[in-house]
Amino acid sequence: MVLAIGDLEHFMKRLAAITALAVIITATACGTTEATGTAGPGGIYTTIDGAKQIDATAPINPFNPQGSTFVGYDAMSLAWPKNDLMDPNQFYPGIAKSWTATPDQGEVVVHLQPNARWSDGKPVTSEDIRTSIGLAYTQGGSAYTVDAGAAGAAADIQILDGKTVKVVQGANRSNVFLRNVLSTVVVPAHVYGSLLPAGFWTKLKAARGTGPAAEQAKTEITGLSQKVITFAPPKDVSAGPFVLERINPGAALLKKNEYFYDAAKIVPDKVKVLNYTGNEQIWNYLVSGKLDSAPFTAVPAAVMKRIKETQGNGIRKGFSPVAASLAFNQARKPYDNVHVRRALAYLIDRSQVTKIASPEAGTPSVTTTGIHGSSAKAWLGDGLGTLEPYKLDPAKADQELKAAGMVKKGGTWAMPDGKPWKVELHVPASFSDWVAAAKSVTSQLNDHGIEASVVTSADYILYLDELARGKYDIGFWLMALGPSPYNIYQRVYGSANGWQLLAGQLRHSPPGKNGNWMGGPETIGGVNPGELTSRLNLASPAEQKRIVGTLAKLTNEQLPVIQIYDYVNTQFVNDTRYTGWPAADSEALRLPAGVWMQLGMIRKTSL
Amino acid sequence: MTVTTILPGSPGNTGATLRRNFWRGVGRVLRRKPSRIAGVGIVALFGAMALFGPMLYPAHLPRDNNALYAAPSLAHPFGTDFEGTDVLALVVTGSRYVILTGLATAVITVALGTALGLLAGFHRGRWDTVLMRITDMQLTIPGLPLLLVLSTIWKFQGPLEMGLVLGLLGWGGVARAVRSQTLSLRERGFIEAARGLGLSTRHIVGRELLPSMAPYIAMNVLIAVTGAIYAQVGLFFLGVLPFDSNNWGVMLNLAVFGGGALTSTAALPYLLAPLLAILLLTLGIVLIVDAMDEIFNPRLREE
Repeated sequence: MVLAIGDLEHFMKRLAAITALAVIITATACGTTEATGTAGPGGIYTTIDGAKQIDATAPINPFNPQGSTFVGYDAMSLAWPKNDLMDPNQFYPGIAKSWTATPDQGEVVVHLQPNARWSDGKPVTSEDIRTSIGLAYTQGGSAYTVDAGAAGAAADIQILDGKTVKVVQGANRSNVFLRNVLSTVVVPAHVYGSLLPAGFWTKLKAARGTGPAAEQAKTEITGLSQKVITFAPPKDVSAGPFVLERINPGAALLKKNEYFYDAAKIVPDKVKVLNYTGNEQIWNYLVSGKLDSAPFTAVPAAVMKRIKETQGNGIRKGFSPVAASLAFNQARKPYDNVHVRRALAYLIDRSQVTKIASPEAGTPSVTTTGIHGSSAKAWLGDGLGTLEPYKLDPAKADQELKAAGMVKKGGTWAMPDGKPWKVELHVPASFSDWVAAAKSVTSQLNDHGIEASVVTSADYILYLDELARGKYDIGFWLMALGPSPYNIYQRVYGSANGWQLLAGQLRHSPPGKNGNWMGGPETIGGVNPGELTSRLNLASPAEQKRIVGTLAKLTNEQLPVIQIYDYVNTQFVNDTRYTGWPAADSEALRLPAGVWMQLGMIRKTSL
Repeated sequence: MTVTTILPGSPGNTGATLRRNFWRGVGRVLRRKPSRIAGVGIVALFGAMALFGPMLYPAHLPRDNNALYAAPSLAHPFGTDFEGTDVLALVVTGSRYVILTGLATAVITVALGTALGLLAGFHRGRWDTVLMRITDMQLTIPGLPLLLVLSTIWKFQGPLEMGLVLGLLGWGGVARAVRSQTLSLRERGFIEAARGLGLSTRHIVGRELLPSMAPYIAMNVLIAVTGAIYAQVGLFFLGVLPFDSNNWGVMLNLAVFGGGALTSTAALPYLLAPLLAILLLTLGIVLIVDAMDEIFNPRLREE
């Protein structure tokens, strides 16, 4: 038989074998806890990296997306973002001990930790920061971009002294400049410095101009990108609390960096970062009590119950600025009609969808505002209560559908011209919570006489590509990516809906052009939501509140998206070996455990 | 005007007698081992499920919002899924897609494989060289990666499309085997005799060679059905094919990745039901193949 069939045959047989084994295990075993062993009085701290799986062949380089470095442990930033509901510029110190910024964030001055040293004993200096920023330019994005006129781009980097650096913002201001500067990943100049060619800084200055010379300089700088990503230092040189000792496909082992500036605060002698191939493996680690802590992992309710039964396991829940929504392609009929969008909102029981799709890591959205429920309270205050809640109401949905001219034939809703109306919800197949949510939504719509079905895409990249090309009527969409209000509304009134910020100028592309797949109108009742969103970049806190109020109301009325559920950050901790975890809703909750250690939180459990 | 009278012992009647004897033989072979009757029963059950199953349930299966991943009970023998739908109903209504794909794959695999194998083996020479090189090429195509890539550009909307692709990827092995059989048979006396009598190639291939290979081909049809079921369920399990909540592969996927069936027991019935269906169907087919072997191969008969 042909390979495909043979391979899959083996695969299915293996699945059957695994299942049989699972039955035996669940029948006989009862959560065994494997001793992790100790390396010294501090012991070995076991965790996973939520951001990536381990690739033992990847270089020890934080610029490489698969790199064998681990944020918070041996990869350090200037500072670590706090999980604040509204303010994106709240940070815990990292390599930067403190910082100051002018009120308009035109200048940011960063003071480094006076005792910061690399794991080879050399001090961390301003030159290291400048080199790190130079390398960040080769990768592009946020504060360090060579795109002339991009909002929030740095214009100059000055070394004030051996431990002080000043970064100046360009003319097109953004109020997340401080956040972007503080998020700079820091690498040693004596290891990475050779990647920047002689005359790099002159070239960078030239790249900020216009004309052929500037274009040439830009190309040269971004052309260094691959060289930086693939650079493989022979050994890890870390300024963080740990340094990589060895790595294999199953796990990475990091040992304490004795030169770390706050070494006294770090309790574990070693950190073991376990690899995983899928969520199921993380669930098994958690059920067996192997992990001292684990970042957010989607967990089914039954698995969560087993995890909680394991001795020492605990859950910490907190704010997670992400929500799942259904986004419409308003260039397609009948979704161009606001009454149809409202009718669908009245027919979706968000509590039921959340119960089915994400019972442990989601709360049903209070209503559609564009903002996560928790921060919506902070942004909108009493205004939140005045918005239409879109509670399940089939009668109102019928009214809306009639208002849109839709007709009901034989118990099924059809288009105004009598042609069948088939609602297709698109989701990437790999997101099991979205698949379950989409199925639940279609079941509910079918109950109310709307023919609806789920269509999956093989993977997320393909999904986003097809979505951007306007191939879908309705697709699942991540939104409310706070805490910066600009980032929140950029998901609804940004490039996906036609507004693009090019060279400091906001332009609107018609539906179907330049990635505008949402296809909403440019102005609604005289309000240009894209323009308002763009203004959030610059606005003062009071003005931001006003704009957010307007956009939330507009989003609630117009429903370019239907907000389904807001995510809850669910983290796992185990008290058996270590304790001192951040409390629920702590501002440190979403940071890696390595940062908790830097903040002096983690202690050995007293026996 | 002539009157044709069919007398006892005329060729037409002999055919009917032969057919009667054949079915009597089939009955005897089946009765000899009760497992074979069970095999026929199982396959008939799945056939009936595919034909009539979807008619037993409403177009949109009912859900119980308060019984997500419910344990097996009288009302739900295999429990319920993530949104409270009866798992048995999903398996029953999903059988049509799975079996239709299996049959489509089997027909294409066997029809293509047999035609090319017979042609190559019977004509030999240039025909053989060309057709076998094509077969070699087909055999070297890595099926699974190709299907994964194909699935990104082609949404396999229906079972027949799915069956067509699996069939086009699976005929190589059958073509090779049929060719070998043909090479061996064409040297036998009865073919020599047919040639000597000046019978046409079509007659020799269609009436002499093909019937001799019928048992082999028939068995291949059944085995191809099981292969196709594994392949398509596997692809759905991997999540590379469009979602269909009652597809067995999608059920396995959602049970493992959405329900955590390999970590906790709650979603285990949801995982086991489609697995059991696949297992039973394969078992039924294997038992029938065992019976067919004996029907077509008199040397295996014990009496």
